[in-house]
Amino acid sequence: MSGRANRVKVLVGGVQLRDGVSTVTEILGRIFTRAGLFAVAMERGYASTIYGAHQYDPILVADQPPLSYGDPVYDVLVALEYDSNPDAPEQPNRDTVLRHGPNLRDGGILLYDSSTGEIPTESLRARGVKVFPVPARKIALTELKREIVKNIIMTGALFRLLGFDGDFTHLRQLLEERFGRKGRDVVELNLRAAQRGREAVERVLAEQGYTLEVRLEPRPRGRRAVYISGNDCLGIGAIQGGVRFYAGYPITPASGILEFMERWLPRYGGRVLQGQNERESIRAAIGASLAGVRAMVGSSGPGISLKVEEFGVIGATETPVIIVDAQRAGPSTGMPTRPEQGDLNLVTGGAHGDIPRIVLAPSTVEECYTLMLEACELADKYQCPVFFLTDLNLSEGRKTVPEDLFAQRPPIRRHGILREEEVRGRPYRRYEVTPSGISPRVLPGTPGVVFKSSGVEHDEFGFVTIDPRKRAAQMDKRMRKLETYLREDAKPPYVFGETRGNPVMVGWGNTRPVLQEAREILLRRGIPVALVHFTHIYPLPKHLVEPLFADAGPVVVVEQNYSGQFADLLQRELLIRTRRVLKYNGIPLYPTEVADAVQRALRQEGAVVRIGSPEPVKVEVGGDGAEGH
Amino acid sequence: MEPKAIKVWEENAVPKHRIQWCPGCGDFGVLAALKQALVELEITPHELVLVGGIGCSGNIRNYLNGNAFHGTHGGPLAYALGIKMANPHLQVICLAGDGDTFAIGVENFVHTCRRDPDMVLLVMNNGVYGLTKGQDSPTAGLGKSVEVWSEEHPPMVDPVLLALASEATFVAQSFSGDVKHTARMIVEAFQHPGFAFINDFSPCVTYNKFNTYEWFREHVEPVPPDHDPSDRDAAWRLVRDFARRGKIPLGVIYRNPRPRAEARRLPVWEGELADVDVEPILATFR
Repeated sequence: MSGRANRVKVLVGGVQLRDGVSTVTEILGRIFTRAGLFAVAMERGYASTIYGAHQYDPILVADQPPLSYGDPVYDVLVALEYDSNPDAPEQPNRDTVLRHGPNLRDGGILLYDSSTGEIPTESLRARGVKVFPVPARKIALTELKREIVKNIIMTGALFRLLGFDGDFTHLRQLLEERFGRKGRDVVELNLRAAQRGREAVERVLAEQGYTLEVRLEPRPRGRRAVYISGNDCLGIGAIQGGVRFYAGYPITPASGILEFMERWLPRYGGRVLQGQNERESIRAAIGASLAGVRAMVGSSGPGISLKVEEFGVIGATETPVIIVDAQRAGPSTGMPTRPEQGDLNLVTGGAHGDIPRIVLAPSTVEECYTLMLEACELADKYQCPVFFLTDLNLSEGRKTVPEDLFAQRPPIRRHGILREEEVRGRPYRRYEVTPSGISPRVLPGTPGVVFKSSGVEHDEFGFVTIDPRKRAAQMDKRMRKLETYLREDAKPPYVFGETRGNPVMVGWGNTRPVLQEAREILLRRGIPVALVHFTHIYPLPKHLVEPLFADAGPVVVVEQNYSGQFADLLQRELLIRTRRVLKYNGIPLYPTEVADAVQRALRQEGAVVRIGSPEPVKVEVGGDGAEGH
Repeated sequence: MEPKAIKVWEENAVPKHRIQWCPGCGDFGVLAALKQALVELEITPHELVLVGGIGCSGNIRNYLNGNAFHGTHGGPLAYALGIKMANPHLQVICLAGDGDTFAIGVENFVHTCRRDPDMVLLVMNNGVYGLTKGQDSPTAGLGKSVEVWSEEHPPMVDPVLLALASEATFVAQSFSGDVKHTARMIVEAFQHPGFAFINDFSPCVTYNKFNTYEWFREHVEPVPPDHDPSDRDAAWRLVRDFARRGKIPLGVIYRNPRPRAEARRLPVWEGELADVDVEPILATFR
């Protein structure tokens, strides 16, 4: 639709925990992926409550990999609620339809559970929306005697609407794998449910005389693919990158990493610690790293704040640790289930005094894997904290990813670890002053040698000192690592288009796909904007970046925080002026609004454009934890 | 003790004349006891990791041979936990102070007791923050009778009771004025399979003018020979009965090892990390 037959954006909404929104999108994503299509569900709409708030999960599916999750314009709305607001019996299915109805494109499709009666849809019908009331819960309870299959009824109905999986080949296969162990009849029950959903749609089609223009064709795909989240991808990256110790304390949206690691790391010989608090987690990781294991911790803003004092320990004791910050909206507890890129200052500047550190930010689910492999090597090589900045949508969002991605695996190299034969018979200096700033370390237990390691300022041997020369020598040595890093390992940003003479859009981290799409919109509008997008954030590879901006037009930095933290970094490092496009209302950036905002920012020197979208949704936010779109 | 054997523990350490403790500090006794115990245990320095706390106590890691690590205030137990989880073959001892362990580090203390990692915690307890010039620590007020408590001066934490309440499996008490006994406790702590906690009274001669060596000598008493340390109730009773008499028990107060899962050294080297097949993981995402 939207001019392309084999590309559909579906929003599934319902009551959190009760309606199984993410179960439905998970089934959809997997089946679409198995059918050779590309699914992207990277905008997660849920609330920091356990039960009852509105939850929505948009999923975009196409026969070619979509650039990003796109604008909030939907071809199909699936409302799983049957009585989300019991106090207003005339308005069941209130949330999904009311909140997202305005974003349903004219002529789109509304599929809703009409078990407690049909809802008023005149205004939608007036916009050409085809309305499909399907009493899924009622059918499940009365005919199939199992309420749980109501979502499969809706899935069957949706497949009919999308002209997809007509004979339920894909659904059957998935069900057999999932429920095969529970017996044939469970699989058959589910298939009957899907069939009932399809029949309900047929009935509406016959009554209303609708014709459906959508058709999702399965495509043969040469290579296998998985439907996977950023958290899971970085978990695989960490295991392939040699991480064998992971510690975390439950926090949204980093808990997924802890769960992944608890399930998998022991099978690869590793151990996982659910710390009793954020500090125990990172300290245990420091200890494990000291003992020679590649160690990683994961958390989100509030937890990262608690870990800050250990940043200094890691920097001063020169112990490699990978720190994943799955950012969410702050400050304080902020909005735990909403995305933001607000922790940049925290990870580039957190800790008293100066420490060497490296900050990386993957820009796609795939990069959660590839960049993590790099993070593992960098931590080891530079013996410093390596920060890995994802955000809620990237961490928890899911996407179809070809499996051959995971075959990419450079060999692991343990950097700068001295073995017994290399240290025997000479005095060992843990903090030897070297030209590269990297001092080879020994692991505890290496026969014939001991080390002294301390966060207190120390001499080359690791003993406490306040000697000004030794202090300066150690400080210089530690910070010199960053020069080595910039020379040997820093990567330039992605560049799309020609920056010379053109306006330049700048972004970092997970926003790349959206900015790429925004750039294409701007190009179509005749604005020849280039895009420079950073994954290697800090220290900024100035020598690689400066030429890009030397003869560039106005620079517009687009990011998801209030102040423009990356714009500040760029201004400081490159001494250039930036204009800013900022969004911080808890909704991810969308391509069209970015294009519009960049266009506005280009009109004025030093402009700051704050995006407050989306406009059309007007639902009062109650005190129950429910949140607006 | 054979002086030559003791010498092993004096290599790779800060020489005596640079030790940063006040003359007469109780920590000297702990250092002497440690050396004796380590000789008796026949541990070699490269397999030992000394995790220091912040404060006078933590400095001991520099005065003794062995690998050493030193991070934040309140942190030693958690670093040590990570070291031990990564490599169970290492001998790990945390050398911390009372502020380090029972103020900022109390959450780590409670949870380490519960986790029961196979390592030793020796707290040099003097009731004051020495390096910052004598402020009260949570164990301040030992043996002092106070009529009315206030928010500013709450009752002291009893490390032994806290450890018992936190499900510790080895709890001992020593006095650094008695080097031989302290060494004995350290040996027994290392021999205990699990987390072994020693509350060592280590007088601060500069700031704690009340709990002096003389005061301790008057108030300590060995744990009676008929005490059954594997009996938790008996341990509680012992501490309570001693307290009622204004006395402090020295010796093993509680010892009851838990069954332990066998742990292996985690993979470290290239070869150990190379053989990775992520197919089983990918299968769950298809």
